[in-house]
Amino acid sequence: MSAESSPADWKKADTRIGILFVIPFAIAALLFMVYPVIEAVRLSFYEHNPLRPEASEFIGLENFRTIFEDALFWKSFQQAAVWTFCSIVLQTLIGVSLALLLHLPLRGISIFRGLLLFPYIVPTVVIALIMQWMLNAEIGVVNWSLKSAGLIDENIYWLATPSMAMLSTIFLNVWKYTPFVTICVLARLQTIPLELYDAAKVDGAGGFRRFLDVTLPQLAEVLTVVVIFRTIWTFNKFEEIYLLTKGGPGTSTFNLAIYSFEQSVANLRMGVGAAVGVVMMFLLFAGSLIYMRVFRFDEDDTA
Amino acid sequence: MDDKIKRNAQPFTRRKFISDMAVLGAGATALPAWAQKPSAKTGTVRVWGEPGPYGGVAVDAMNEWAKKFAPGLTFKLETLAWDGVYIKLMTDLAAKNPAHCISVESPIAFQLMADLMLEPLDDVVQKVGRNRLVDGVKWEYWGAWKGKQYVLPAHHQATQMVVRTDIVKELGLGDPDKWSWDDMRNAARTISEKKKDVAGISLALGRNLCTDYHFAALLHSAGGRMFDPANKFEVVFDSPETVEALDYVKSLQPYMPKGAVSYSFLEVVDSIVTGRAAISFYWGRPYGRAAEENKPVFDALQSYNHPRHPKTGRRSNWNDFQGWCIPKSNNQYVDEVKAALVYYQTSPEWLVRYCHSLMPNVSPVYKDVLNNPKLMTHPFFQTKKDTIMNYYVNSLPHSSSTGNEMLKGINPLAGIVHGRSILAQTVQKVVVDNWKSADAAKWGAKEMEGVRKANLRLLGGVG
Repeated sequence: MSAESSPADWKKADTRIGILFVIPFAIAALLFMVYPVIEAVRLSFYEHNPLRPEASEFIGLENFRTIFEDALFWKSFQQAAVWTFCSIVLQTLIGVSLALLLHLPLRGISIFRGLLLFPYIVPTVVIALIMQWMLNAEIGVVNWSLKSAGLIDENIYWLATPSMAMLSTIFLNVWKYTPFVTICVLARLQTIPLELYDAAKVDGAGGFRRFLDVTLPQLAEVLTVVVIFRTIWTFNKFEEIYLLTKGGPGTSTFNLAIYSFEQSVANLRMGVGAAVGVVMMFLLFAGSLIYMRVFRFDEDDTA
Repeated sequence: MDDKIKRNAQPFTRRKFISDMAVLGAGATALPAWAQKPSAKTGTVRVWGEPGPYGGVAVDAMNEWAKKFAPGLTFKLETLAWDGVYIKLMTDLAAKNPAHCISVESPIAFQLMADLMLEPLDDVVQKVGRNRLVDGVKWEYWGAWKGKQYVLPAHHQATQMVVRTDIVKELGLGDPDKWSWDDMRNAARTISEKKKDVAGISLALGRNLCTDYHFAALLHSAGGRMFDPANKFEVVFDSPETVEALDYVKSLQPYMPKGAVSYSFLEVVDSIVTGRAAISFYWGRPYGRAAEENKPVFDALQSYNHPRHPKTGRRSNWNDFQGWCIPKSNNQYVDEVKAALVYYQTSPEWLVRYCHSLMPNVSPVYKDVLNNPKLMTHPFFQTKKDTIMNYYVNSLPHSSSTGNEMLKGINPLAGIVHGRSILAQTVQKVVVDNWKSADAAKWGAKEMEGVRKANLRLLGGVG
């Protein structure tokens, strides 16, 4: 750059470099996020069999009528809500508790912090297959352990009875994703100014009071983000349920992602599957807006 | 066992052997010049097969052909899990990237051929020999549509009632070959009550293909069916016969392992081989595993035709009629696959090896193989000859499948019914959700009607 360069030139050059850096992400986002969403929305108005793409036909809102009239869609929606709600509540409670424990200044605590990541980094397919064996009613280690400890007399059919299968899928999700909550909360805990606790102590607040009045308000924002993300990800989850129970027994662990997969791939009704995806997108968008509104997350503190 | 079946059970007469060898000599032993035409093509020919060593044997035979006539080619087997076959097949076809040669069960093959996705194989059949089929089967059972043959037989593979004869004898439950539906249920109940840790019967009740097949066998025994090919493929599933078959499954459920509601193929085999179940409907696969893993169970196992329905007297099984087909789409190796298929299908040595690879799971489809003395060199013939002949021969008069219900007409819609697990879901509505059988039958019929309406084009104007 020449010595005569003005601040405006600098700004222009910065902008150009900035745009240059953004371009790869923008292209990737357009290709892998925006285009699939637009294509899914378009497909939801078509009858489309992938074996016969030339016979694709615009049918308006027919796919949406099909799913809204299908009892299995509503059952899947209800089960998805139960599975998401239970998973998120448990992940949040356990995640925050673990973060508080791991925040204690104990010798060797960093080892436990490292170990905590284990469930999160192991591929879901590995965990699901291992859990299938562990939860096998007849030869699984879980029943064997419970029997050996004298806690049960009869085998529990973890994956073969509707309520137990739902419980098992929730357990898998909680086990795998609680570390995500813990890590986020722990990171925030470590940035809370100690002066706040000191002041609360001076004012005579006990441990529980300090948690309620100091820790929890400080965690509110991170918990809002974590809960929103975990809700979106859990509601959309496919692989854990599919690998563990395939949505069964019966359709007792179907969620909307599995329902969409069944319609798209097993039934080759891509339009119907896409319509489910569009409905899920709107549901989650609306849910996120409401949640952020309730917790006033979108308000600027400086306003 | 009636006389006709007894006659079928004795195929090793001298006269029959000589006549069949003559057929083989005339039509099969000499490799047609057509199959010896060299190919300069290079690359990998992808072959799909179900789990089991027999697919590997067939591919070995194809590679032997390639070594002689197309040295630039390698045939490579891709094994598909049973419950994943339909989805894998459809997604790869949709992506226009199917294997170059597929071994698939007849209902799915029927769907593909009616959708004009397969190469006609009449020229291959001509070379292989039209008169070689064993008694009691027709070429169309594997896949013919509107006068053209689209599927070449790999094997036939019927379910039989697998029974722990030691337990049946100990409890005095009579001759399983004479059992009716009621007798089998009584036997299952008695075993459940008197033998600790042994379920009376093990059937698949999960949301999968195995459940489809188990239930279809009972449905056809009761005289019921899904579609009526003689009447524009009308859905006839909502019938008293379906209700009866569903009620029967429900009545067996207390004598099954509790986990049966999630059982598929593997779990049923496990329950038999580990001795946790005394009766089942299954193909010949458990024998190989039991011989290796649980000799006492192997010694005690025998297979019989399914129990008779009390009113119809039918003993319908579910016979796979698995065959080889060649997808049209993006397939640059059609001629080579055809030549390799002719090579292996005209080689009694390879075909015997194919059957031997998993006794008695894959039954020979050609007379010259069934009557080949080498076939009987397998050690299982020393102790399980009756069982083997039940699978190979005596199952045929009772054979049925969803794609050709009671062998009364090819139905290209059955593959889609399996893809959507409609039969298994119907069963699960009764055994898991406690629906009334009549309501479940209505639900199933409505789903099938949806399949029929959406796929009228497959019916070629007859729908």
